Amino acid sequence: MAGITIRGLSKRFGADDGSLAAVADLDLDIKDNQFVTLLGPSGCGKTTTLRLIAGYITPDSGTIEVAGRRLSSPQAVVPPAERGMGMVFQNYAVWPHKTVFENVVFGLKLRKLASAAARQKVADMLALVNLGGLEQRYPAELSGGQQQRVALARSLVVEPGILLLDEPLSNLDAKLRERMRTELKQLQRRTGITFVYVTHDQAEALALSDQVAVISGGRLQQYGTPFGVYAHPANRMVADFMGLVNLVPGRIRDTRSGLASVELAPDLTVAIAGIDGLAVGEPVDVAIRPENISLAPAPDPETLAKVTLGKVTNHVFLGNLSEYEVALPSGPVLRVQTHPLQQFKLGEPVAITIDATQCSAFPRIR
Amino acid sequence: MGGAVAALVILVVLPLMSLLFGSVRGEQGLSLEHFAEVLTGRLYVTALKNSLMLGAWTGLFSTIIGLTLAWAVSRTDVPAKPLLQLTATLSYLSPPFLTAIAFTYLFSPNAGLINVLLRDVAGLPWLTFNIFSMPGLVLVTVMHTFPFVYLLAASALQSVDASYEEAAQILGAGKLRTAFAITAPLVAPAVLSGTLLGFVNAIALFGSQAIIGLPGRIVTLPTRIYALFDYPPEYGLASALSLVFVLITIVALYLQRAFLARRSYVTLAGKGARLALLRLGRWRFVLLGFGIVVFIVSILAPYATLIAVSFSKSWGLDFWKGLTLANYKFILFDYDVTRRAILNSLLLATLAASGAVLLGAVIGWIDLRTRIPGRRLLDYFALIPLGLPGIVMAVALIQFWLALPVALYGTLAILLLAYMGRYIPLGVRAANAALRQVDPSLEESAQILGASWLTTMREVTLPLIRPGLFAGWLLVFVPVIQELSASILLFSSSSITLAVAIYNLYETGYIEPVAALAMINMVIVSAAIWLATRIGGGRILGRGDAAHHAAPGTGT
Repeated sequence: MAGITIRGLSKRFGADDGSLAAVADLDLDIKDNQFVTLLGPSGCGKTTTLRLIAGYITPDSGTIEVAGRRLSSPQAVVPPAERGMGMVFQNYAVWPHKTVFENVVFGLKLRKLASAAARQKVADMLALVNLGGLEQRYPAELSGGQQQRVALARSLVVEPGILLLDEPLSNLDAKLRERMRTELKQLQRRTGITFVYVTHDQAEALALSDQVAVISGGRLQQYGTPFGVYAHPANRMVADFMGLVNLVPGRIRDTRSGLASVELAPDLTVAIAGIDGLAVGEPVDVAIRPENISLAPAPDPETLAKVTLGKVTNHVFLGNLSEYEVALPSGPVLRVQTHPLQQFKLGEPVAITIDATQCSAFPRIR
Repeated sequence: MGGAVAALVILVVLPLMSLLFGSVRGEQGLSLEHFAEVLTGRLYVTALKNSLMLGAWTGLFSTIIGLTLAWAVSRTDVPAKPLLQLTATLSYLSPPFLTAIAFTYLFSPNAGLINVLLRDVAGLPWLTFNIFSMPGLVLVTVMHTFPFVYLLAASALQSVDASYEEAAQILGAGKLRTAFAITAPLVAPAVLSGTLLGFVNAIALFGSQAIIGLPGRIVTLPTRIYALFDYPPEYGLASALSLVFVLITIVALYLQRAFLARRSYVTLAGKGARLALLRLGRWRFVLLGFGIVVFIVSILAPYATLIAVSFSKSWGLDFWKGLTLANYKFILFDYDVTRRAILNSLLLATLAASGAVLLGAVIGWIDLRTRIPGRRLLDYFALIPLGLPGIVMAVALIQFWLALPVALYGTLAILLLAYMGRYIPLGVRAANAALRQVDPSLEESAQILGASWLTTMREVTLPLIRPGLFAGWLLVFVPVIQELSASILLFSSSSITLAVAIYNLYETGYIEPVAALAMINMVIVSAAIWLATRIGGGRILGRGDAAHHAAPGTGT
């Protein structure tokens, strides 16, 4: 078992000055026995990072070390064959001309394992991934999910310290994807292997990972626990990528004991924690998740002073929840998610409450 | 890498350069006198005109026949579609010089069987047809070239989704209007590209132009170049004329590529295109009749004739009275030249096919799997021979190897070089297509499990591309067995090949043994196709397909 240390890793594609940085100056520490996800939109550099870890690509600068041993640097790259890692590809890459057994036993043969022992290990591994009895089938005779499990078994049977997975679930249908997600998580816990998992699906990343590395434009945007990344995004990009979010323009009124009062509308101010380096008067965008806004029927006119009123402008019923668009008198429109039993009419005035502890503020981009 | 480059340089680049050099080498130093001669001399200008005329008429009729059949098969409810498809495939495979020979048995002005029937038996002399004429040459050539239009047009027509046409119809366009406003522009690039391919192939065929053209005093570029090698050989003129020939070919191929590139929007709909078949009613039998006529003229008549002649003692009206196996005995056992020719061709075709596919696999692998600078260039060089007619290849090789101290001229080796050079594009294409089907991740997953490059090749890559390589091997083997255009200038009595032997026998008037030898040629070709589908096809092919479907794309 092994941890991975990445320092200053960069890789550009294309020969000339017009080349594109796929990975730029990446630092990442992946601890032993962890399930780490590299998450980002397509083209963000996450697959390149994974292929750099696997040794298929030589970095332009920076190093990759595993358990203190330097595997990649611009000068020397230990070839994939000598890294003792496993990799599961997006298209499974199960060899179509070999049976399930031949696919899985391949790595053991290369390691010169006695055939009886190899046979036993393959059988055990296939049982682990629920493929017992399918040894003599060809991949073309298997479903997508089964092929996926052959790929997993093939990688795991050689007991790698690190397993790299490149969007392994993206070609499966929604139901199967959810089941395989659970199986993967359990497999990782049972084997204790370090999983490095690439995906563009934030829900998948949240569900699976111990740590999520959000990558965009080749750069690491944030590295933390799923909850941390979701609830306290480091920047606008992360906030936006991790799920539905309202980005509401506001201005800092004052800062006191680590809290900043941000005025979103003349009668709507939120106190947000942890905004270092933002000065009073500075324009900011406040990220508010739809589930952290609650709505209530507008109270009597006498008590109006204390509440912020908005007007329902749109309603979408989604089954397990309801989504409303609520316009503030000053202009901005908020997306709000409520329990489906909480119902409001179009045009109805509603009282808005925002849970400021779950909001973040970022400097406005000009 | 180095080996592949060296092979390409020797096979293609150096011979071409000596062709260029030979064309500008005058009595004293460099001169353009040869070009001046071939562009103004009456003999050469006539040959050029004849070639262009042949190409133009062939292109036109290829388009008419190919497009009609393609449309019938792809978009109508014409019956017996397999027969029409078979007609196109067989016409494509059968060597045009055999068709030409067969037609001379039927339509040579005096002795042709049908001409004799019409003139002496039916008393209809005005219905006789002289095959030794431009119409005769065009007829024989079209029977080989219409499949180019057919194949490209059929694939284009099949990829025009019915929704395109339905969209026009719902806006109020009638069927005819739709056909002209929507369907025709969509498939036109593919059809034109097929026409140009037909043109290029038509003008390059030495065999039919010599067999039909020379008796009719229709000299074309290949036959004129051939004549320049009568003693004393005129290397300078032959080189200059060859380059003019290459220029025409390259311009046509360039246009063809440009047209084909515009086709891309047709394939957008992909394989799943839904086709609306036009119900033709009684007209479908007219269309079927047309197809049957093409089948009779291009396949049935020539081959029935060749079979009949090969078994007759003396070809004529009452040939059936003297059936015999003597012709086969003669060419297989008694006459050592034909026996040697058959063995030579088998050996050369096997070696050339293996060599071209192997070299193709190396070049394809370098192009697709490495980042070695210059790999694209390698790929382009390997495509150059597409623009070289066979006889031009021969002229280039002769000059190159005569200039070297190695005595290669007149040996099997120079023929092997000519064949490999000519057909390397087919090898590269087959290997390229096969390798494209193998997703790199299949190789990468072997590597990360600890497999070396060699193990990866042996265990993963080669088994997966084997069906494609077999197909490529066949694609080279078949034309090499019946190659005439380059062989005719390169053979010697010891290195004579099958096609040359057929041509020589024909020239010397051995009518009946020629047919027997032609049949041997067809048996070899059929056996090769049968063998290759048996070994290379079947299960492996099915699984290779599955691999393609299971590997839809790469990651981000």
